[in-house]
Amino acid sequence: MTTPADRHLLAVHRSEVAVSVELQTPEMTLNIGPQHPSTHGVLRLVARISGERVESVQPVMGYMHRGYEKLAEVRTYAQITALVNRIDWVSGFANEVPFIIAAERLMGVEAPERAQYIRLVLTEMYRIANHLIFLCAFPAELGAPTPLMYALRERERVLDLVEGLTGGRFHPNFNRIGGVKPAAGGGAKQKTRSQDLPKGFIEGTRRAMAAVRRVCDDLEGLVLGNEIVQQRAVGVGVLPAEVAIEYAMSGPNLRASGVAFDLRKVEDYLPYHRFDFDVVTMPNGDAYDRCRVRLEEIRQSTRIIEQALDSLPAGPLQAKVPRVIKVPKGECYVRAENPKGEMGYHIVSGGGRRPYRVKIRSTSFCNLAVLPWLLEGALIPDIIAILGSLDYVLGDVDR
Amino acid sequence: MDGLPPEAPPTEEPPSRAAHWAAVAGATGWTDAFRTAKVRVPRERWVEAHRALKEHLPFFAWLSAIDWTNEVAVGDPVEGDPVEERFEVLSRLSDVSAGEAVIVSTDLPRDDLNLASLTGVYTAANWHEREASDMFGICFEGHPNPVRIYLPDGFEGHPLRKSFPLLAREVKPWPGAVEVAPLPAAEAAPGEAKEGGA
Repeated sequence: MTTPADRHLLAVHRSEVAVSVELQTPEMTLNIGPQHPSTHGVLRLVARISGERVESVQPVMGYMHRGYEKLAEVRTYAQITALVNRIDWVSGFANEVPFIIAAERLMGVEAPERAQYIRLVLTEMYRIANHLIFLCAFPAELGAPTPLMYALRERERVLDLVEGLTGGRFHPNFNRIGGVKPAAGGGAKQKTRSQDLPKGFIEGTRRAMAAVRRVCDDLEGLVLGNEIVQQRAVGVGVLPAEVAIEYAMSGPNLRASGVAFDLRKVEDYLPYHRFDFDVVTMPNGDAYDRCRVRLEEIRQSTRIIEQALDSLPAGPLQAKVPRVIKVPKGECYVRAENPKGEMGYHIVSGGGRRPYRVKIRSTSFCNLAVLPWLLEGALIPDIIAILGSLDYVLGDVDR
Repeated sequence: MDGLPPEAPPTEEPPSRAAHWAAVAGATGWTDAFRTAKVRVPRERWVEAHRALKEHLPFFAWLSAIDWTNEVAVGDPVEGDPVEERFEVLSRLSDVSAGEAVIVSTDLPRDDLNLASLTGVYTAANWHEREASDMFGICFEGHPNPVRIYLPDGFEGHPLRKSFPLLAREVKPWPGAVEVAPLPAAEAAPGEAKEGGA
């Protein structure tokens, strides 16, 4: 009769035999998400892995598909503005701008200068908010949670200003065809007056921009100088410029690969050409450079906002538009440099109050297409670093 | 190209970039309305046109389709004359330096929705073609991975076709009473609803 100790020995012996026979790494399928904190929503990655290396990755999406392109066909232009806020909710206002400008172009309306400047200031504020969110989430995913506190604190200051002006933090719904909404609580007459920003907005914004620049200096040390971030991000997920262009990467992800292309410099959807700012590029195209580009872009955005406030023209906030908005037949594509990259709307109007077709070029969807290429051959822990460095939002992927 | 008849007179002062891209792509026509350059190519020249343009415009921004029809289940039909029944496929190409860009467009008859895949020319076309095939039922021949991208397995129909009903509306009519109420003053035509904002 065998004792328990004997049985244990026998089991150990058997397992050793098994190990010696099957000393090889079987290929595994690893399922990441759809409910995983680092996937920024509901993205699922089906990864085939061999040991610690990723053989191939298949992103699976559509869990959040809300059918905005279909909904746009049954809603009026004013209603769609509220809808497109929710595509990339981290930079809500910036989603509205190309849509509203495309509709304005079809109608032959141009927003007054003051409204254009306010649109520009708000877009840049959301760029700051978006990049600060990146600078809080990216290190946190890599195991450095402290920068989150600093980044979110200043982001809150910026969003408070936005809230004071628009009434909303995430979904301001502030654009109207022909201009922007009169300031909250201003009443119907306000739109004709030049004093329409909330009291203290300009001074508050200047103070906030100084604070944002200070936190950029802090974050430079906390994030870029952070040994955890450096070890996890330098040389990880290197994206050469040719590959970035081939996969239609845009925005900071493209500029981190050394391509100096910024739609704010080549398109005239907002008066960016009047302001002095640099297109930030980095040479290496790795996760660390994608982080550096965004930090530097925050500084450039504060410069743009300050210049815009210095030269803010007076005048109305609204151009004259018909009470009932009907858009003449035609089609128009307007693209804008959103915080995440090229975002655009191709509006086809059949001449009525609702568009016949709206194609939404959402940035994250296009930026994510490079993922199988980037993750091939990567180490498993680098999946998180590479994913995080691309700065996507699932609402922007699935629409 | 020899004697390209422009479909519409260019709205910008010449020389129009659309005409230039039409010549490069070997297009049959072009438009440049609302500062959106667009060239039309026949379906059989779809891939060659893109191959010719890629050298100058390496950035594949998006691909999309439009269901042109006069019988719509949701939304408004095109006003005025009936449209020619067809599917239009569009792709947007641009550069990454000077801001040059063009939309390439082709027509597919409603009974034959096959088109050669662009994935051999532009890698970025991959996901966009999967999306268009999900949403419109267009079959891209030669696509390396022709599987669904957004819709769940077993989903029937193609949601962005104009014949596809908006099911939420079937269950619960919307917009509700707010939109159908006429304006208080006679500023708008009778039956017109109040527009948000302004």
